[in-house]
Amino acid sequence: MTTPASILSLLILLPVAGAIVVALTPRQNVGVQKLVGLGLTTALFLLSLLLVRDFKPIAGMQFEVNHPWIPDYGIAYKLGIDGISLWLILLTTFLTPLALLGSWDSIHDRVREFVVFMLLLEAGMLGVFCALDLFLFYIFWEAMLIPMYFLIGIWGHERRIYAAVKFFLYTMAGSTLMLVAFLVLYRESGLHTFDLLKLAERPIDIGLQTWLFLAFALAFAIKVPMWPFHTWLPDAHVEAPTAGSVILAGVLLKMGGYGFLRLAIPLFPSAAQRFAPAIGLLAVIGIIYGALVSLVQPDMKKLVAYSSVSHLGFVMLGIASFTSTAVVGSVYQMLNHGISTGALFFMVGMLYDRRHTRLIADFGGIKSVMPWFSALFLLVCLSSIAVPGFNGFVGEFLILVGSWGLDWRLVVAASLGVILSAAYILWMVQRVLYGEVTHEENRSLPDLSLREAVILVPLVALALFMGVASPAFTRKIEPSVDALISQVRGHTEPFPTEVRPEALQAPRAATTPGEAAR
Amino acid sequence: MNPGLDLRPILPALILTVTGLVVLLAQAFTPKGKRAPAVPISLFGLAAAAIAVYLLAPVSQEGSSAVLGGTLVADAYALFLEALIVGIGFVGVLLSSSYLRETGEERGEYYTLTLFSLVGMLGLVSATELIALFVALEIMSVALYALTGFDRRRPESQEAALKYFVTGAFSSAFFLYGVAFLYGVSGSTSLDRIAQALASPDAGSRGMAVLGVGLLLVGFGFKVASVPFHMWAPDVYEGAPTTVTGFMAAGVKAAAFGALMRVLGTALPALADHWQPAIAVLALLTMVIGNLGALAQSNVKRMLAYSSVAHAGYLLTAAVAAPRLAASAILFYLVGYAAVNLGGFGAMAALTRDGREPLSLGDMAGLASRRPALAAALTVFLISLAGVPVSAGFVGKFYLFAAAVNAGYTGLAVVGVLMSVVSAYYYLRVVMAMYMREPVGDDNWAPVAAESRLALAFSVAIVLGLGVFPGAVLTLARRAAESLL
Repeated sequence: MTTPASILSLLILLPVAGAIVVALTPRQNVGVQKLVGLGLTTALFLLSLLLVRDFKPIAGMQFEVNHPWIPDYGIAYKLGIDGISLWLILLTTFLTPLALLGSWDSIHDRVREFVVFMLLLEAGMLGVFCALDLFLFYIFWEAMLIPMYFLIGIWGHERRIYAAVKFFLYTMAGSTLMLVAFLVLYRESGLHTFDLLKLAERPIDIGLQTWLFLAFALAFAIKVPMWPFHTWLPDAHVEAPTAGSVILAGVLLKMGGYGFLRLAIPLFPSAAQRFAPAIGLLAVIGIIYGALVSLVQPDMKKLVAYSSVSHLGFVMLGIASFTSTAVVGSVYQMLNHGISTGALFFMVGMLYDRRHTRLIADFGGIKSVMPWFSALFLLVCLSSIAVPGFNGFVGEFLILVGSWGLDWRLVVAASLGVILSAAYILWMVQRVLYGEVTHEENRSLPDLSLREAVILVPLVALALFMGVASPAFTRKIEPSVDALISQVRGHTEPFPTEVRPEALQAPRAATTPGEAAR
Repeated sequence: MNPGLDLRPILPALILTVTGLVVLLAQAFTPKGKRAPAVPISLFGLAAAAIAVYLLAPVSQEGSSAVLGGTLVADAYALFLEALIVGIGFVGVLLSSSYLRETGEERGEYYTLTLFSLVGMLGLVSATELIALFVALEIMSVALYALTGFDRRRPESQEAALKYFVTGAFSSAFFLYGVAFLYGVSGSTSLDRIAQALASPDAGSRGMAVLGVGLLLVGFGFKVASVPFHMWAPDVYEGAPTTVTGFMAAGVKAAAFGALMRVLGTALPALADHWQPAIAVLALLTMVIGNLGALAQSNVKRMLAYSSVAHAGYLLTAAVAAPRLAASAILFYLVGYAAVNLGGFGAMAALTRDGREPLSLGDMAGLASRRPALAAALTVFLISLAGVPVSAGFVGKFYLFAAAVNAGYTGLAVVGVLMSVVSAYYYLRVVMAMYMREPVGDDNWAPVAAESRLALAFSVAIVLGLGVFPGAVLTLARRAAESLL
């Protein structure tokens, strides 16, 4: 039996319906609310597995839904996914139930609202990844801010209000200009539609493309976040409750890169290529900068937060290269980052739940106290620093190989970032896990509970699986990326840097099964 | 029926006038110490008026829906706004009763004045002749002056009434002066004839016509509280009884913008080159100063007053594209805006107990744990005001800025969206206080009365409904706008 196309609508509407139901339950029914939240998000994950089963590894949109919505403006409720969005949807449905489970014991206050906001957030995120109409995309893109604002602001740490407001305003400031760009595009295209695919078929005049691309790029660069637009990230990630940090790092940060791939590049191919070197440069600055700042963080959560700036720099470098290899690597790296950084935030949260501190200096010798935790922590860290055999390696390798043609100096600098990331992560591991137990309070910390193990084991298993079986994933990503790249190159004004043939060849080989992993 | 005496097109206004008088009489015949059933009578009258508007819809198609010597018309445009205005009256009355009880001002005159100002608003949106427009403007305004000062015991209310009256009279003079100039140029006060006269003017009278338009714009600028004619708004909004503020914010904006679009679109298309840049400047100033002013406020009511100034700016942004592109966007926006303002001020009014209202952010602190439903409703209104989806405010702003961009005023749209970000900061401050701060002191706020609950729920439904399914109302708005051309 094949999956009906309406599955995408179901994925978006079910959490909304669930949120309404939970909102109507009496405040004290905490157990029911949690169970409904967890049950529903788990069901959504299972539902999304159907997408994987029936997704054909071909280019073009699948599971398309198209209903006229506001005909006066040619706005449609149009959904569809391709290889780029497929796995991001899976990532979302995978992390959300885990995030709910992760907050099972740490959220006591206003549980009903918490579940409602998590469900609305999931609907918004899935909507962003499914929308193929600019107006619809923008609705989800912005609507998503509200639940995240509440998650940070209500259940966050000491400076939560500051962080929540900063998060909201930063993101909104970036995206509103994109809204004006939508309107200008609508006027200029003369197609009387907000349909992404139709607009991408006929790119507009190059002069205007530049301006509109910049408006889009600002919105997405803030979301990624690219240096120097990253300053909201440390605040938001550190102050958010664990579930919020996991979703922020795991899914929300992917929307920037996704936005570039889905909107900015197909709509403005010439301008995108013109700005590719600049994006590549900012990306590499972000890689090095994020790594250096991580190196000196005394606070684990901050360290992980800044490491995101560095890791997302790789994603943007790959996107800026405009080679299939690197872009496939970028999409893969987005998934990796979601899993490994999500897991890291979970684990920092677990330590925080036990000790109510996140300072590295307050730990040490945890290995002997919490052996299971320490083993998983080490594995997650290895995944995060892209050790071969783990998922991170595949992504970073593809990106570095594929980006050579953009500018080899950038690749060399980015490789330095790889080394730095090993340095800050391993140094943290050393100080937290190894050595003597220096604080008496740490002697009696309980090891992982069953609930915590249920959260972490799938993440670690997936990190390993994605490290050795990458083709299972990339096989479905590649056709869509290839189509994107050839579409971009088809509309090309002269490509800014010379592409060396060997740089284009090598990646082909690397994407074949497992090789990269070994 | 004698065609000269066909009063059907003004039936809604007639019904409301009669209802107002009945409320007044009921009040007079009620023994001292007892209360007249003013609320049910008013609601009944408003419902009848709504039915009348509905029944008039076919009449508007006949083409000759003008009445009283062609001074008032019931075309699709007028009916759209009349439906909105009657709706505003309905929600406004529902919200008022508990507030008046708690502030000790429960008198029937309040409802009479509300109904009379509604009559003025209905006249404003259906007038096709400048004298009728002026009379309607005054009917609306005089009733509102009295309503503003209705809270006799509060000096702020008195001060607000006086301020409103003086600036209002001043602006009426500007308006009338503008009418005189246009009459001088065209020899008529009928919008159609003015348009005809201006279509082929000689050079000399054109200057006079432009002057007249400028003066009209000043008059309208006062009524919609556009910068630099907004000075009265913060004081009046703050001083007036909260339910009146909400009613005023929703109703006056709808009526005044309705009239402005009709005047610009019907009478003055020939002068578009002159008034478009002027409105663009007004829009720019209004958005920037309104939003920056709101940023500095700690009193929520005053903040909402500045926000209402800012929203006049957004509306004016689209008005530069009048009328072909903008009218439908403006009509749509006015619907959402009315629901949001009635709801926003209504939520504050609903908490009022013994004359004490939640005004500061401190009063709002922790409201989410004390009145979760009300806090959620207020959050929806504030999010809509900030123009964040999913809400009528977002879709409305989208249409407004789309109209501006299509008319070539992309710069205005850029300023508009950036100012929306600024506005998100001060709107979110209220949300933050409600959800992220701990409640201070005892819970002294009133339990939300049933009729207020109904009104707020209705407003929330409108705001969210238009945010998700804007199509139907937008189509109605487009048809209404087409009848202007």
